[in-house]
Amino acid sequence: MSITIQNLNKQFGNFTALNNINLEVESGELVALLGPSGCGKTTLLRIIGGLDVQNSGNILFHGKNIAHRNARERSVGFVFQHYALFRHMTLFENVAFGLRVKPKKERHNETEIKRRVHELLQLVQLDWLADRYPAQLSGGQRQRVALARALAVEPQILLLDEPFGALDTKVRKELRRWLRRLHDELHVTSVFVTHDQEEALEVADRIVVMNKGEIEQVGSPDEVYANPGSPFVYEFIGNVNLFHSRTHALWTHQHGDAIAYVRPHDIEISSDPHPSSLTAIVKQIRAIGPTVRLETATLPDGEIVEIELSRERFNATPVSVGDKVFIYPRHIRLFEEKKKNPEFSAIAHHS
Amino acid sequence: MRNSSRLQPSHIKIATCEPRIVARILIAIALFYLALFLGLPLFAVFYEALGKGWELYLEALRDPDAGSAIELTLIAAAIAVPANLIFGVAAAWAIAKFEFRGKNLLITLIDLPFAVSPVVSGMIYVLLFGAQGWLGPWLQEHDIKLIFAVPGIVLVTIFVTFPFIARELIPLMQAQGKDEEEAAVSLGASGWQTFWRITVPNIKWGLLYGVILCNARAMGEFGAVSVVSGHIRGMTNTVPLHVEILYNEYNFVAAFSVASLLALLALITLLAKSIVEYRVRKDSQTIPHGETE
Amino acid sequence: MLKLKEHSVLPGFNLALGFTLLYLSLIVLIPLSSLFFKTATSGWDNFWEIVTNERVLASLRVTFFSSLIAAALNAIFGLVIAWVLTRYTFPGKRLIDALVDLPFALPTAVAGITLAMLYAPNGWIGHYFAEYDIKIAYTPLGIVIALTFIGLPFVVRTVQPVLEEMESEAEEAAACLGASRWNTVLRVIFPSIYPALLTGFALAFARSIGEYGSVIFIAGNMPFISEIAPLLIVAKLEQYDYAGATAIALVMLLISFMLLLIINGLQGWSNRRGMK
Repeated sequence: MSITIQNLNKQFGNFTALNNINLEVESGELVALLGPSGCGKTTLLRIIGGLDVQNSGNILFHGKNIAHRNARERSVGFVFQHYALFRHMTLFENVAFGLRVKPKKERHNETEIKRRVHELLQLVQLDWLADRYPAQLSGGQRQRVALARALAVEPQILLLDEPFGALDTKVRKELRRWLRRLHDELHVTSVFVTHDQEEALEVADRIVVMNKGEIEQVGSPDEVYANPGSPFVYEFIGNVNLFHSRTHALWTHQHGDAIAYVRPHDIEISSDPHPSSLTAIVKQIRAIGPTVRLETATLPDGEIVEIELSRERFNATPVSVGDKVFIYPRHIRLFEEKKKNPEFSAIAHHS
Repeated sequence: MRNSSRLQPSHIKIATCEPRIVARILIAIALFYLALFLGLPLFAVFYEALGKGWELYLEALRDPDAGSAIELTLIAAAIAVPANLIFGVAAAWAIAKFEFRGKNLLITLIDLPFAVSPVVSGMIYVLLFGAQGWLGPWLQEHDIKLIFAVPGIVLVTIFVTFPFIARELIPLMQAQGKDEEEAAVSLGASGWQTFWRITVPNIKWGLLYGVILCNARAMGEFGAVSVVSGHIRGMTNTVPLHVEILYNEYNFVAAFSVASLLALLALITLLAKSIVEYRVRKDSQTIPHGETE
Repeated sequence: MLKLKEHSVLPGFNLALGFTLLYLSLIVLIPLSSLFFKTATSGWDNFWEIVTNERVLASLRVTFFSSLIAAALNAIFGLVIAWVLTRYTFPGKRLIDALVDLPFALPTAVAGITLAMLYAPNGWIGHYFAEYDIKIAYTPLGIVIALTFIGLPFVVRTVQPVLEEMESEAEEAAACLGASRWNTVLRVIFPSIYPALLTGFALAFARSIGEYGSVIFIAGNMPFISEIAPLLIVAKLEQYDYAGATAIALVMLLISFMLLLIINGLQGWSNRRGMK
């Protein structure tokens, strides 16, 4: 089922949580709402799920306006950030809850409920813990139960609020992969909220980057990473070096107030001067796995520039701390200062 | 437990402990004070009641006036506790699960009866319903008697026990948040289904705790009930009022015999309260609140 | 934007709040307001005359000072009891911990007759003092005894949780910095329990001001000497002097409201201290 969001606005008192949001989620897609805390992503998710109500704007499920439907009637599965498992019920009863509270006519008989709950618990690989209580589980297990519980009512849409937010790094990585696999199996339209760019890049089909109640950019993970639409996206996703055009007219070919954004791995380093290169002193060298990170300071201003090289590339032209090097960008993006729309959509290619 | 290591053998000095002798003196002071003000009176009630033998004790309890006093006390509590239970749950539901203006004012107003002297609590009902009160003439016309009658006793009992259950439930339900209820609704549960299957099981211990305290006060209230009762023997006497009458007649054995029933009620209350506190502590130990592993 | 309530998916708000307000109004607000109307209809001059009457002033004085002394006693010993219960282990500790709440659970009339019996000149405790010609029961001293009994749990129960939750790290840090135990208690522990101690004191004081049942049996109730304000209200009610009773009740109610405000402020302060 597809989701269409039209001109959505939400205020909390004087605070604008969502400002004119327009978004289209295709049927069967897995979409990430990515942004810093307070950007409105959770509010948007809760409004889609019917847990909050917008001040204006429409939400359409499969082209049908569902404004008048409350959370019970939207057939949406919601997975809460802190799981919200019913603490006084066993895992079995937690998952069965949605089936048991159905109106009498639609309710399945006990054998059918049993069968379906066990099927779901098998799906999340927790069948062997069916009689335990939530308090006896680890965080990762609780998260999986929360998911099974949401899936029990066969939702058309699955909404997940920071699904891995409260877990440690290792469990997170496992669950991420698992969620991706599960989604590929079930193909239910899913939207999840995260503040972790890595999570969004790794799991989602498409990423919606949000900031201060507005959508900054929508695109595939590759698009968003390689072609950030705004300075905010540039800074939020991945590392980036900033150059002010006034001091680096050489690179930007521009004399107005613009900022140049260059990814650390898009900077080339050489021992010979290049037509548009800057001179810099190597301050620190750190080899981390397959990459080598250099911290250099430009001459004469001493601005810090971070550079990432592959190990092979570094070994081809080894430098050491204190060396003078010449650096130039392969790929640069300019944005007018203090505005977020790119003034120059052209991308300078130097190499 | 860090407490268990607080008393160190005297030859070891720990910087975050008092010297052993100081600890001993403090414990002695505390125990003496508690023995003097709590232990001794408690013992004295039962001693005075039973000191002259079981015969007199049972005779005092078998007195028909005592019986009707017990009956009235039970009736008052049986009405006041459920009434305040329903109120407490409704108030806590509105306050803990919703955001609205004037919430803090409402919480303060709910606590108000605790700030009012028992005597004043009784008096305001006399001013409303008494013969010279606002509604007095109207009530007399229709031959309804509230003051110096059972309904008045029930009303003031409700008033003095008004906040007990609400003030237990409000902080509890606020701390629990509304995540679980929202999850239930998103899974298709109706309002009542959510309330009975999710909320009630989560607040049952807090509810019970409030009921225990509410009941103890309802059965033991003296000042407020005394003002509206009229002290008619066998009619409008509650157990505490009956104790007063017997004491004022210098019938000490009977007074303490009946009083011992109330003291027993107090002990049962304390026991039940401790059990509930123990259960709550046990429950909260198995449910870690920080969920990071 | 004037909005009464934020939206929520949970149902039942109107029903729950509606019932709450109705019940609150019928049981508490309307009856309480009758006090103000009654005073207003009898006239403020009349009110002033009643409350400045010598006997009324004396009873307010007795109530106020005995409550103050009792609350102060409980502040000191309550602190010791809370400390002992959180910091030391000794046999029977849990039993004693549970027993601290006895004054909340024991009906005041029972406490009243028992204390009167114990402290009477021929009573278990009273006869020791009678030998030195000291009378406790039927004097203001008896009132203090009764009020100390009913106020005992307040300080213990407000200070105890603060002591329990206090980080032992702060004490250890102080010790590492070279503070003596006494200095640590004085400068690190005491300042952090001070707001809770004051709150407990105020709660005990507020309770004592209105107390009736436990006091009347032991007080002797002599006008100008050992007559408390609540008793004077009852006396006036029994003589059908509603105007007189109302006036005293209003004064007491205003004192209670003031104390309630102070206590709310203290609790806010105490919570902010605890948040760190």
